[in-house]
Amino acid sequence: MSFKTKDVVLSADRPKSLLIPKHADYLASYGLNKDDFEYCMTEYLRMSGIYWSLTAMELMDQTSRMPKDDIIQFITSCQDNESGGISASNGHDPHMLYTLSAVQVLAMYDRLDAIDVDGVVRYVSSMQQEDGSFYGDKWGEVDTRFSFCAVMTLSLLHRLDAINVNKAVDFVLSCMNFDGGFGSKPGSESHAGLIYCCVGTLSICNRMDALKADELAWWLCERQLPSGGLNGRPEKLPDLCYSWWVMASLSMLNRIHWVDKDNLEQYILACQDAESGGFSDRPGDIPDPFHTLFGLAGLSLLGNSSIKRVNPTYCMPQETIDRLRLEPQILLI
Amino acid sequence: MHGRIKVRTSEEEKAKKEKERQEKLKIFKHAMAKIQNKRKLGELDKEQLDVTGQVLSSNPDIYTLWNIRREILIEFRKQLPEEEITKLYDAELSLTEYCLKINPKSYCAWHQREWVLTTRSDPDWKKEVALCNTYLKLDERNFHTWDYRRFVVSQCKYSLQEEFDYTTEKLLDNFSNYSAWHYRSKMLLDLYPDKEGGRPIQDSYYKHELKMVLSAAFTDPDDTSAWFYQRWLLGAVKTVTKIVVSTVTPSKTTVAFNHTVPLKYVKENVQIFFNNVNVVGEWFSCVQKQNDDVWILKHDQCVNDDLNIKVEHCINGAEKETLVLSTYKPSYYVGKNIICFQNKYSTTVLAELNEQLDACRQLLEMEPDNKWTLLTTAFFLYCVDAKTYNKEIDKILQSLIGIDKQRAGYYCDLKSKWSIEKEIHDNYDKMDLEMKVAVKNLTCLPRLQYYSFCENVDLSHQNLNENVLPSLIKLQHCKKLNLSYNKITTLRKFPLFQLEELDLKGNDIDNSDIEELKNKYKNIKIIL
Ligand SMILES: [Zn+2]
Repeated sequence: MSFKTKDVVLSADRPKSLLIPKHADYLASYGLNKDDFEYCMTEYLRMSGIYWSLTAMELMDQTSRMPKDDIIQFITSCQDNESGGISASNGHDPHMLYTLSAVQVLAMYDRLDAIDVDGVVRYVSSMQQEDGSFYGDKWGEVDTRFSFCAVMTLSLLHRLDAINVNKAVDFVLSCMNFDGGFGSKPGSESHAGLIYCCVGTLSICNRMDALKADELAWWLCERQLPSGGLNGRPEKLPDLCYSWWVMASLSMLNRIHWVDKDNLEQYILACQDAESGGFSDRPGDIPDPFHTLFGLAGLSLLGNSSIKRVNPTYCMPQETIDRLRLEPQILLI
Repeated sequence: MHGRIKVRTSEEEKAKKEKERQEKLKIFKHAMAKIQNKRKLGELDKEQLDVTGQVLSSNPDIYTLWNIRREILIEFRKQLPEEEITKLYDAELSLTEYCLKINPKSYCAWHQREWVLTTRSDPDWKKEVALCNTYLKLDERNFHTWDYRRFVVSQCKYSLQEEFDYTTEKLLDNFSNYSAWHYRSKMLLDLYPDKEGGRPIQDSYYKHELKMVLSAAFTDPDDTSAWFYQRWLLGAVKTVTKIVVSTVTPSKTTVAFNHTVPLKYVKENVQIFFNNVNVVGEWFSCVQKQNDDVWILKHDQCVNDDLNIKVEHCINGAEKETLVLSTYKPSYYVGKNIICFQNKYSTTVLAELNEQLDACRQLLEMEPDNKWTLLTTAFFLYCVDAKTYNKEIDKILQSLIGIDKQRAGYYCDLKSKWSIEKEIHDNYDKMDLEMKVAVKNLTCLPRLQYYSFCENVDLSHQNLNENVLPSLIKLQHCKKLNLSYNKITTLRKFPLFQLEELDLKGNDIDNSDIEELKNKYKNIKIIL
């Protein structure tokens, strides 16, 4: 059996320049039609959808095209008075994922007063377990994604003291693998998305020293395929969102120069939909707000000057992180 | 949204499809409204189970619906007879199985399955193992299935050996199964530790695994899975925390370690003595972190020029290393340790490494430009005897920079690291207070804590850019720093320490950055 690298080929007529106005139009019109099939079927992750769109708009300096007042009102209405957590949408249950998205959106708007902050802090800290891990909600799913949600949410609120940070770090470190990467729980295989969550947690908690930086960054730079795109695990296809998970992790590790930036930029640009606007996972696929954010954020990390600077730990505009006086750790090299 | 190809369709088809979707949407909205209404009314009943089940069958990620089902099942358990409950749990398992067929990566569906099995009183774990086996045949890399397998195995007390053998079976079937290599690494240390030698892995198994990697490599050198496993094996050696250098001057007392250690470790295991009297003080990390490799002891002892200074370090609570400091100039005391970067393998493993090195060299004769063979050869050479093979390693890395251009940055940094290690190895004990390396083209500053004792640091004519500037904080005793002729474009990340002279000639730095630095360092002399 002969072995073939899984990859895509970029066509000659692919988009080669950044189509900012198209992307802004795409995001501004997304969800305007309340009967759009796609929009309705993704209601269960609406709060994150808002975060993806708003952050993308922020990075393109087009924030005014988002319905600010409606969004803030919506977030207020999604907070559960009893637990303090925030849900994806009305009629859905509170969850760590959407609590984080809501706090990120309000932090960008500088409107954290729109929710009961103490309630959020209460909710997040109630999710920490004896071993330092975090539940996603009261039903007990454990995942390193939720550890990241917890420390990111609390640090944005300047309330990290509400949890046991040392234990949170120890749990994340217990998920470290032979390749220096991380999975979703102890024993789980390394995956670029979860590596980002774990490295991000360590960056916020100032414990980047605990990483096997060279091993991990080598594994990460080996994600780059001949097309320039990055995959999330060995022997997998490239996917645009991994340009974020991998590149943000490499930025925190101070080793972003271990991948070919020009090559990657070509791939990211090729994932644009020149007709409708927006980015997709691979060239020629259907775009969505999720990949649109991670395409733009990836380009920002690569130094594209027509996009605002993004913070690699928080995936939010650097200016927001500066305003909040947060200084997530970047490793020395 | 992943893997959905945009297809060109005629207007007619488009309209037809949209009509279908609107039909579906109407049903969906109706069902969701009904569910939410019933929930508001507190109706935890069979009808609610039916409706949520219908919606979930095509949308398994709507997490709230699974929550509702759990609420109902918990309520039913209080009311219904055991056999009814058993039926409901079975039905729940069927539903998750159905959902996983549509989306094998649905976090919610997997979690529901886990919840049912840990909640019911009669879980059939054997059946779950069988399910994992089937799913892993369909997709051997689905990490959800592997995670679920680990969960099931932990519940039904399968032996580690059985699981280890399962990975062997999977790998012999297809070496390109990274998930199996990963799982194997988790069990190897527990199954075959080297109890007598204190090494992580038993010799015979170490050898066995290296050989397995080699057969995978011979099957297909471009499949990367086994290479990562090999890299891990090569690094699986005993490591010991050591002090590399300690420096005492009237302005500062520092201790540098071979890797980062927590404050608690330093406090409990390191003591400094002036004329045999323990110096009492407080330890600070040089970057104000909880863990660091350069630690500063703040004390109020006077440092003059007739002191006997020694540092004691308790290694692993038992062994003790003592470092006696010598006077390098009046009131400037330095104690350097004997430095060794060479990995220590057993003779058996070393013989195997040499054998595999030969095999690699033969492969290279046939295919001199194969990236993986080159890189592996470089690592074998480094692991076997970095000092002797230094030139050959350097040559290989240089050709890798040309062959694997995408990762040129990695190879350059690796070259810098190994060159600095050689430099330290060759010259460390002979050094005075000046760091002047024979190495060229440094792109990063690894092992910089080893030079924390230097007063004069010459890093001119290298390939350093602004990303390395924060690392300079390790040079806690540096007064004169030469960074001329590098690739620094901004000084924004320049750290604060007691510099007196800084040479920045031959860099393209903005004037405003220089002015800002002058403001930070009032008395600094900047050479431009
Ligand atoms: Zn993706």
